[in-house]
Amino acid sequence: MIQIDNVSFSYDLGKTNVLRNISLDIPEKKVTSFIGPSGCGKSTLLRCLNRMNDLVETSRVTTGEIRIMDKNINAKDVDAIELRKNIGMVFQKYNPFPKSIYDNVAYGLRIQGIKKKDILDAAVEKALRGAALWDEVKDRLKDSALGLSGGQQQRLCIARTTAVQPKIILMDEPCSALDPIATAKVEELITELRNDYTIVIVTHSMQQASRISDKTAFFYLGELIEYADTDTIFQNPAQKQTEDYISGRFG
Amino acid sequence: MSDTNHSNSNPFAYRKSSLNSKEKSMKGLLAFATYFIVACALCIFGKIIINGYPVLLNKGLSFITEKPQTLTVLEIEKNDDIQAPLENYENMLSSNVEPLEISNLKEFKKSFGYVTFDLESGSLIGDGYLMDIEKENNGLYLMFKERRQPEKLGFSIPQDKKFTIPKAELEIIQKNDPDLITSEVTNKEINIISKEVTIAKGEYPLKKVGFDALEKKTTLIFQMRQSYPDDEPDKVIQCVIPETQTITVPSSVYYAAFDEEENGTIPLVSEKSIFSSKTLSEFSLPKGAYKLSPASLRIFTANGGQHLHNLDRGSVVVKLDEAKTVTLAKESYDRLIADNPEIKVSNVQDKTQEVDYVSFTLDRDSEIQLNISDYQAFKEANSINNKFKPNAEHTHSYSGGGILGPIVGTACLVIICMVVALFTGIAAATYLNEYARKGGFTKVVRLAMLNLAGVPSIVFGLFGLGLFVMLAPVMTSSPSADSELLIPIAPLGSAPELRIAEAEAILTVDPELSTTLSAETARSAGAKKFYNGWLYLSFQGWGTCMLAGGFTLAIMVLPVIITSCEESLKAVPMGFREAAMALGATKWQSIRTAVLPYAFPGILTATVLGITRVAGETAPIMFTAAAAEKSDLPWQGIHSSGFGAFVDFLQQSVQALPYHIYTVAGRIPQSEYTEPMQYGSVLVFMIIVLLLSAVSIYLRIKIRNKIKW
Ligand SMILES: Nc1ncnc2c1ncn2[C@@H]1O[C@H](COP(=O)(O)OP(=O)(O)OP(=O)(O)O)[C@@H](O)[C@H]1O
Ligand SMILES: [Mg+2]
Repeated sequence: MIQIDNVSFSYDLGKTNVLRNISLDIPEKKVTSFIGPSGCGKSTLLRCLNRMNDLVETSRVTTGEIRIMDKNINAKDVDAIELRKNIGMVFQKYNPFPKSIYDNVAYGLRIQGIKKKDILDAAVEKALRGAALWDEVKDRLKDSALGLSGGQQQRLCIARTTAVQPKIILMDEPCSALDPIATAKVEELITELRNDYTIVIVTHSMQQASRISDKTAFFYLGELIEYADTDTIFQNPAQKQTEDYISGRFG
Repeated sequence: MSDTNHSNSNPFAYRKSSLNSKEKSMKGLLAFATYFIVACALCIFGKIIINGYPVLLNKGLSFITEKPQTLTVLEIEKNDDIQAPLENYENMLSSNVEPLEISNLKEFKKSFGYVTFDLESGSLIGDGYLMDIEKENNGLYLMFKERRQPEKLGFSIPQDKKFTIPKAELEIIQKNDPDLITSEVTNKEINIISKEVTIAKGEYPLKKVGFDALEKKTTLIFQMRQSYPDDEPDKVIQCVIPETQTITVPSSVYYAAFDEEENGTIPLVSEKSIFSSKTLSEFSLPKGAYKLSPASLRIFTANGGQHLHNLDRGSVVVKLDEAKTVTLAKESYDRLIADNPEIKVSNVQDKTQEVDYVSFTLDRDSEIQLNISDYQAFKEANSINNKFKPNAEHTHSYSGGGILGPIVGTACLVIICMVVALFTGIAAATYLNEYARKGGFTKVVRLAMLNLAGVPSIVFGLFGLGLFVMLAPVMTSSPSADSELLIPIAPLGSAPELRIAEAEAILTVDPELSTTLSAETARSAGAKKFYNGWLYLSFQGWGTCMLAGGFTLAIMVLPVIITSCEESLKAVPMGFREAAMALGATKWQSIRTAVLPYAFPGILTATVLGITRVAGETAPIMFTAAAAEKSDLPWQGIHSSGFGAFVDFLQQSVQALPYHIYTVAGRIPQSEYTEPMQYGSVLVFMIIVLLLSAVSIYLRIKIRNKIKW
């Protein structure tokens, strides 16, 4: 699904590379998790996948290429806006707009120019059901999204992302601001979503990675140290660094 | 314990230290400063309220709506049988605080003949007469497109009259108006004596009579040592003749200038008499109305001894485009018909009207204050018996009028200003914060903005005067002759509709002429504008008007608006932008839907802050928009329609609150009227500012509660 091929990335026009020669294949309709110590470039790589780094003007992919469904996403003829419509993203700090729950979920469709109420209604319901939130909010769709609990807000953000029906969902530490119960719910949701979406998730929690992901990539100082099935990584890592990190000896 | 200074080793024991008294006095000082400010504020507000609110109560509605007045102070000698319309008489009584000594008051009725008639479209009327019609029919505005020199002018003779004019001039008349003179013409030869004199260079004393005669009727070159005071014709002044000259002078001038006994002592080097002859023609014209060419008319006016036709009023005629019903006094009507041969009227109805009049005796020489219009009425009523003769008069503004005009004007200025400032301010802030690369450019812009915020407001006023009042571009078919730059856009199909007041200033020039030449022609003819059938983009400025004022104020508040808009944009979490982008929004979509709406409360606060600042500014509008007095509200007195009306609305000067206060407090002579007015106006102003602040606080709280993250 996603082929990252020898990618190096820099935030300062190539002076220093934050990512160096990363290569990995992310499989379709699986959960892939990125782990590694803080500042190793997990978020950066994730944001390369939907070209969110375009917002930083001095950022460059210095070598290699990223292919999604066999298309180089940094090619000239690729429209970043179209790309992002197909690759949703969920952020570490849940960030629903200060609008109603309904408007939040409908946002992505509305900016695509969809105005018909019945289409929006159906899409909103589907997305909220998909995010296991429908029963909790169906009576208060017109209320402000900010009135929801943290976990609900994060699931709302996931619903907002799925409402536009992307093929891939990128999640950057989606549970780091949540308490254990909310985390559990989100994790449950991610497991559900696996059936329909390719999911890439950045996490600091080893347990979380081992619980929900099929494949795990371990990064260290901008380099990919090890990439394998989650079971292999956690039970039988090939690299010493990986083992040290997983067992909590550094990081 | 190492603490040896204190015998008591317990650190919490009470110790009196020198620090304590210092602490206390510091606290006292700070408190004093605070209470001082409070006291000042109380004094100011107290004074305004105590002096202001009785004014509001006493004056009531008139405080809001009364019209501004201009008074004339007249010194009038005592006289009997002064006449005036009752209405104007009563106005006189009410506008003079000290009672006038009047006796012998009699009321009577006077009847006036007047005529109501329809002016038909296509009528050609002298523009001066058209102005009279507009003046007599209050609120009537006649529009027209064509303006030209008439071929024939009206000319009427009340009695059979004999004219004696030089033969050469008669020939001109006969050439231009061959059918005019039917009576017998007798020619008469007269001898004229003139003198050829030589005057030596030098400096001589001369009286005004001599000076006038020499200046007007001879070619003598000379200078005066000083200027002649107009009221002292007998004063002798030194006149310098720079070189010896020989000139021919008519005998009349000779006696005026060189008669030693009478007028002066210019010694003549030589003189000799010259005899010549001149033919005068004599003819008569029966009474009646005539149509004459302007050339002939000029000769008649010069030789007839009296002004039979006012050349100023009829030498340019306009062609009316629409029919209008008008009313005129009988005499004016008769003159209109006699002097305008190509006027078309119908439906003429003679009417009479009874007006209440009074006559009275003024017992003592006194000073009377009269409103301009009342003064006019008094002058007219006494024009025949000549009983109302002011010895001196001077005119001054008496009141700035009610406060409605200033409030409305300020509102207009603030609205224009805020529309402009918010539009550009939000756009600039958005660009700087969302699009522009963070770096040198934004730093320079921000620095410039900081500096701009510190510029005194009078500088903005001057800047606005230079840019908006005198330079900003307008689209017009009749551009100013003094325009800085004229860019022709397109030829026009038809001439624009004109009003008489505008028409006077517009010179129609040959469409063949180039733009520069057209402007040149107009300028040398003394016309302010010209029309040559082209639509121009003219950099001539907008004039002193609310548009210019609004823009000037906008420039002034822009730094404040931009800075606070940027602050509000910065306060919107980055997450909103990212979330929107990640959902496939374009940059502008994300700004429009996920940034600007949440910056709105901050922008609103900035707006209200800006409004309070702008509403209170005097300096920037002083040269660009403000009128000290104006009796019309902005939407009154606009005679065009559609888009033209909108432009006219924006292109008028307005009163404004702070300037109004300045006017009543300092610009017009102080009187029993102005003092209470000041406090009243200031109180109203204060209330408005308080209301605005209250609204801003309320809005801020309300919107803050609604949008939170
Ligand atoms: N916008 C940016 N501009 C410049 N440098 C950046 C930017 N974002 C991140 N970096 C740098 O890139 C490196 C990788 O950052 P990144 O956020 O990808 O790390 P991370 O693995 O996600 O860390 P964490 O686990 O703490 O989120 C860091 O050294 C960081 O300082
Ligand atoms: Mg990160």
